[in-house]
Order: sequence, then structure tokens, then C-alpha cells
Amino acid sequence: MRPTTFLRSSIKDFILNLNNDYRYLKTGYYVSMHAEVLGNRVIPSSESIIDANRTPILLLKASKAGIPTMPYLVTDSVKRIMSAFSFPVVVFAVNPFSYDGFRTANNKSALYRAVKSLGMNYKFTVCVQPLRGEIVSFKSIFGKCEQDQALQEISEKVYGVFGIPICKLHAQRVGHAAFLCGLQPLKKEEVDSQDLKLIMEEISQMSNLGEHLVG
Amino acid sequence: MAKIACFVEKYNFSDPREEKALQNFKQAAARLGHEFDFMFRENVSAIPQYDAVFIRATTDPLFTAYVVSRTASELGLRVIDDPKSIRICGNKIHQYSLFEKYGIPHIPTLFINKEEFHHRQILEIFREFGKPVVIKAPYTSFSRYVEKVACETSFREVALRFFRKSDVLTVQKFMPTAFDWRVGVLNDEILYVCKYMIPKGRWKHGAKLRGKPTVIWGRTFSMKRENAPAKLKEVALKACQVIGHGLYGVDIKEANGEYVVVEVNDNPSIYSGYEDLRNKDLYGKIIAYLAD
Repeated sequence: MRPTTFLRSSIKDFILNLNNDYRYLKTGYYVSMHAEVLGNRVIPSSESIIDANRTPILLLKASKAGIPTMPYLVTDSVKRIMSAFSFPVVVFAVNPFSYDGFRTANNKSALYRAVKSLGMNYKFTVCVQPLRGEIVSFKSIFGKCEQDQALQEISEKVYGVFGIPICKLHAQRVGHAAFLCGLQPLKKEEVDSQDLKLIMEEISQMSNLGEHLVG
Repeated sequence: MAKIACFVEKYNFSDPREEKALQNFKQAAARLGHEFDFMFRENVSAIPQYDAVFIRATTDPLFTAYVVSRTASELGLRVIDDPKSIRICGNKIHQYSLFEKYGIPHIPTLFINKEEFHHRQILEIFREFGKPVVIKAPYTSFSRYVEKVACETSFREVALRFFRKSDVLTVQKFMPTAFDWRVGVLNDEILYVCKYMIPKGRWKHGAKLRGKPTVIWGRTFSMKRENAPAKLKEVALKACQVIGHGLYGVDIKEANGEYVVVEVNDNPSIYSGYEDLRNKDLYGKIIAYLAD
């Protein structure tokens, strides 16, 4: 069923909301919200959609659920960042407009640039984490990914906590260990035939259970 | 003794009446034996050091205020505004869907979505609600992103502008009144009641001067909550129960003796000499709720 059709409906059933973009105020969000207003169980929930896309909340909830994360700081002050962490650091946006990517900073001037840019001229805060290894960005489809075991575990656990079926995860690999850093929506063109095959397999499993699918 | 953090932004201190209200909260906390500190965005990491968080900065699920609220809530702190209230009040689509579901009397409302936006739909809306109609973006606050349109061209122009940020918008019947009731509610109890007057020749409480960035606000008349109409208070409480048990400012229109909810706002304005004029105890009540 198409999302717009569902938004007009009053179906009462379990809803699997499939979308590449679950950002707040976008159709993917409204589908989950509408399902909840109707009293349905829905994956993902509207609360999880917001939480997963706000890096500090993602990290807080993830660490509570036992997912490895680095310490983080939410601030708009470069001084405070420098007193908390040594370089290099990775900076994520916490503003209403940026939803993809991150910046790494190896020195003070790069950090100033990153905070100014992602904080939109210091109007918003940023979320900063120490960078102790390399950043790996990968697709997570129903918690599955084609990465090593540490990253696979992160992907599965993130899906378990937030239930976002389709997304991109950012993690730090430090030796054999991995730490969750961020989550962002996938662009349509990033979803390839292999991913579609995986999505179809999951859908057919759920359809066999008689669930309603919206996407 | 409870330690209360009040999350504010610099703009909360730009209006002397709001600054005075914030100082009143601090004094009320001291009087009740609690600690009350202002917390700015550079030190939100200090949240775990407090027992409760009171948010006065503008809330929206996309703003830092939501991160503060969600963090405090995850850590088990009492928080005004709580994350659920921010989610529902910060998104009018969510709010009106709940009003519809629970039968809360509200202004006749329709939703339009970006994908199905069409000439025929605009005609149908005008046929149903008449002209003009009010288009409201889901993230509206302080009378912003609410515009009145009377023809298809302006409907299209406003809707396309609001669609840039949200895929769904609300369209409402135009109900002109001389004032909107504002009922302050805390934890299912009436906190204060006032009338937000509509400036002369305008149709909403905060109106922009044509071609200028200046916003003119209508006057505010406060009254003792005991003197407010019982039916008004009943409608306000009913609307809040759909959302939660926090602090809300309910906007209500009175037409032909009936009360209809315009919207429920989390993070309601509290300015010294306005909302508190006839209900001075509101500061103490909010502090006591946070410290409980």
C-alpha cells in the first residue's frame, strides 16, 4: 500500500512502514504517526524515528541498551570540546536542517570550522565524539549489513532498539572493536538491487504472518 | 531540596517581561527551598547533576530543547516539557488527529499532503470551508507559519512554501473573533486564564506589519481562574488530557456560546504582568510540580 493511501485510511492492524527516508515531518514519519493514532503497533515508532535521527539521543539510548558508543558532548562551545576531548574528534550536526554526514577535526581551526558549519553559525549545538579509529559508514537493512562481526552486531542491536528498517549507520572501528557514532536516512539511489532483494525477503516473511505493509 | 535546571536560550532574556518571569521562578524556587539554575546550551551535559529540568527555550522535536527533554526523561528526571508533549504539540497534524480521535471540539480541519496536492483539492476545500481558509504548518508557534488565503494562487503559493519542510499541512476554517482565550494548565489543573486580544484590523494575536519584520501583539487581559467560564475550563482540561499531564497553554475560540480548541501549546509564554497578573501563585505551583 502506498503511504498516501494509508494516510487516508483507518486500517487497524500491525503496520510495517517501509521508506528510505524516515526524517521528522517527511511522509515516512507521518505514516508511523498515523498508525499510532489509529492505535496500531508500527515499525518503526514515531518516537524512534526522532530519537534515531538526533545523534545525542541515539547514543544515549544505544549505550543504555549495551551498544558500544564513545563518550559524547552536546555543546556549541569549541573551548568546552577541547577541554573534554583531545584531537582528532568527529562532529555531528544537531540542527533542524542537516541530516547527513559528519565532519572530522584534527586541530583547533578545523574544529572551529566544523562547529561553525554544522552549528549553522553557532545557532545550534553539535554532538562531538573522540575519534580513536576509522569511521565506517554502511547500509543497514532490517539490522543486516555486509560488514565484519563487530559492525554486524551493532547493526542488529540498533535495529532491535530503534526498529528503523532501512538506514545508514556510522561507526568507529578501533582495532577489532566497533562503536556506534550516528545514523542517517538512505538516499533512494543508494538502495541497490541487493538491498531490494533483502527487503523483499523480509517482506515476504512478514506477509506470511499476515501483516500490513506500507511503503 | 531539589536541584532544578531551567534550560534557556539567550533570546529568553531579550524581553524584560520574560526575564522578570524567569527571575520570579528563581525566587519561587528559593522560597520553597529549592535550587534553580539557568542552563544554556553549552552546558547541557550537566543535566545528570539535576533532579528536574524546566524548559523555557522554544521547543520542537528538531531543536536542542528536545534533546534536553529526551535526555532528562531517559535519565528519569522530571521534565517540563516532556518529550511526548513536545512531539504532539510541536506537530499540529499529530495534535488534530488526536482531537479527532477523542472527540475534542476543535476548529474544522483538513490535512493536505504534498504528493496529492492538486487544483481540484483546493476547490473542494474552498467549497467545504468557504473563503478565506487558514493554512497552518505543523511546526507553527508564536503565530508564525499560519497564513490566511482567499484564492487558489495564494493557497498554492503558501502551501508550496510550507511543503518545503513538511510533507503534510493543515487547512482550517477561518473563524474571526475579537480575542482567543488562553488557558494555562498544569498537571490537569487550571493555572491561569487570560484573553489574548487580536490587534485591530488583524486576524491573529501576533501579526506582522505589511512588508516589515516587526510583529505586533494584541493586548493580554488576565483574569482570576475562579472567574473564568466553567465550560471553557472543562474544554481546556479535556484537550490537555489527550496530550499528557504537563504544562500547556490552550488556545480556545468562543463562537455562539460554544468553545472550540484552536491548539494546545507546550512551553506556553509566561510574561511577568501578563499571564501571572491575577494568578501570582503559578510560579510556586510549577516549581512544586518540578520538585515533587
